[in-house]
Amino acid sequence: MEDDERERFRFYEERSDCDSDSEGYVEDLVDDALCYSSCDIPKLQLRKDVSKAQWIEELGMAEVVEKKGKMWTTTGIVRDGKIYCSIEETLFLAEIGALHIVNGDDTYLSLKDLYEKIAIGNDGYGSSWESFEVYRHLKSLGYIVGRYGVPWTFKSTKINSIAENGASELDGTSCNGSRHNIFITEMFTNLQFGEVKPMFDVYLPNSKFKKSSPGSPCFLLCRTSDHPPSKQATEDLETRCKGHHIKFCNVEHGRVNFFSFNKVELPILP
Amino acid sequence: MGIRWKGKGAEAKALADPMSKIVSQLKCSLIEYDFRGLLSGFSVLIEASEEQTGLFNRTCFGRRIITTEKDKQWFQLSMEEAFYLSYMLKCIKVVGEDNCPTNDDELWKYAISKRNNFPNLFKAYSHLRMKNWVVRAGSQYGVDFVAYPHHPTLVHSEYAVLILSVEDDNSNGRLRVWLDFHCILRLCGSVAKTLLVLHIDKNCSAATSPSCLESCLVEERTVTRWNPEQSRENQTTVQKEPSN
Repeated sequence: MEDDERERFRFYEERSDCDSDSEGYVEDLVDDALCYSSCDIPKLQLRKDVSKAQWIEELGMAEVVEKKGKMWTTTGIVRDGKIYCSIEETLFLAEIGALHIVNGDDTYLSLKDLYEKIAIGNDGYGSSWESFEVYRHLKSLGYIVGRYGVPWTFKSTKINSIAENGASELDGTSCNGSRHNIFITEMFTNLQFGEVKPMFDVYLPNSKFKKSSPGSPCFLLCRTSDHPPSKQATEDLETRCKGHHIKFCNVEHGRVNFFSFNKVELPILP
Repeated sequence: MGIRWKGKGAEAKALADPMSKIVSQLKCSLIEYDFRGLLSGFSVLIEASEEQTGLFNRTCFGRRIITTEKDKQWFQLSMEEAFYLSYMLKCIKVVGEDNCPTNDDELWKYAISKRNNFPNLFKAYSHLRMKNWVVRAGSQYGVDFVAYPHHPTLVHSEYAVLILSVEDDNSNGRLRVWLDFHCILRLCGSVAKTLLVLHIDKNCSAATSPSCLESCLVEERTVTRWNPEQSRENQTTVQKEPSN
């Protein structure tokens, strides 16, 4: 009995659990092969119903003038009965051919024009290429993504009071302030080293989503400077965003990664 | 995270034989025999009787040394294990080369001289052992320890444990950049363990004697990757690119 015990003990001691890799290792290899192969890369299908929007430079947003399709229940914020899209929403819809964007003088804004807009410094309309990559990644998978602290409509301000207060704290503005302040959030001002800020409110895919009562987001997605957040920064954020689940993202070479750092308390075992 | 038992009778066996009880039996047996260990490098060598061998195996202290000796079994204890048995459970005495038992402070200083991170290592080890978790070496997984809720033959390990000392600038070299996270999570993922980070009070590293450790706090955090593709539960319709 002792020998058996010892044998089994050693057996388990020296073997790792050879469970299959849950990180999708094989998929990564295939992804790279496709990226760099010279054969035809699949393009998105052209669609029949294309909505139309006008880019408003002073707001850094596109005002929707012609709505087509079901996506408007989960995209864009509502102000004075009209729908406005952030640069990331606009770019996302433009990439998939769902939105036709024009300037004030009715000249067409190409994808190239939009890419140029998002590239304008760190403050490109409160966004950045990396935040767009994150937005696109989640949106393509069906998640509903809004900028942190920006109410979907003004009817929903009571429900989103936490987000609202957060916005006030962050920007030092109140949501009752100027029209300009209501639209622009400082999502991407230069972060101090180790600084962490909430970036998006993320909701699970939901065909019954209502901007007038969106409920609480599934989690708040935070960005960090190029280093992972320190323990202190994580704690400060958790205090500030009390009651909300928090995730962090890191974008590297076109890949978006999400992490959770959850406080736990291991049980005392018998 | 639910405990993953190995095989059918495992859970019943574990419940019938709680780790705290077995450790208690080990402690009694060692005290009864005025048990000693021989300090050697950063390990402590021990010679165990048949009964003690069984208890060491069941509590997962030490690594067996294979010899041809018949009636005695040799084990080597890691420094954390030896110090835990000596200082926390007070059931072994560690003797130096002069054959004299070392006292706790002497042994502590000795351990630090070999590994100046010993205070953090030991604090983490004893923090988990005190909660009756089984703690084993984790270097083969690129971490400090692996923690099991009971004996490894009965249960899969829950956690890969990494120790972070709460320094002011977080520059103690572990998990400094995002690549460190990717690397370690990849490794943990392929062996189905969750990464558990133990944040240890910065006063711990400066502990000049083991009694200083009592006031040091340990905060536990898990680090997990979230995969949005796999997490879309309870959805009624997926709101992808609408085509109508």
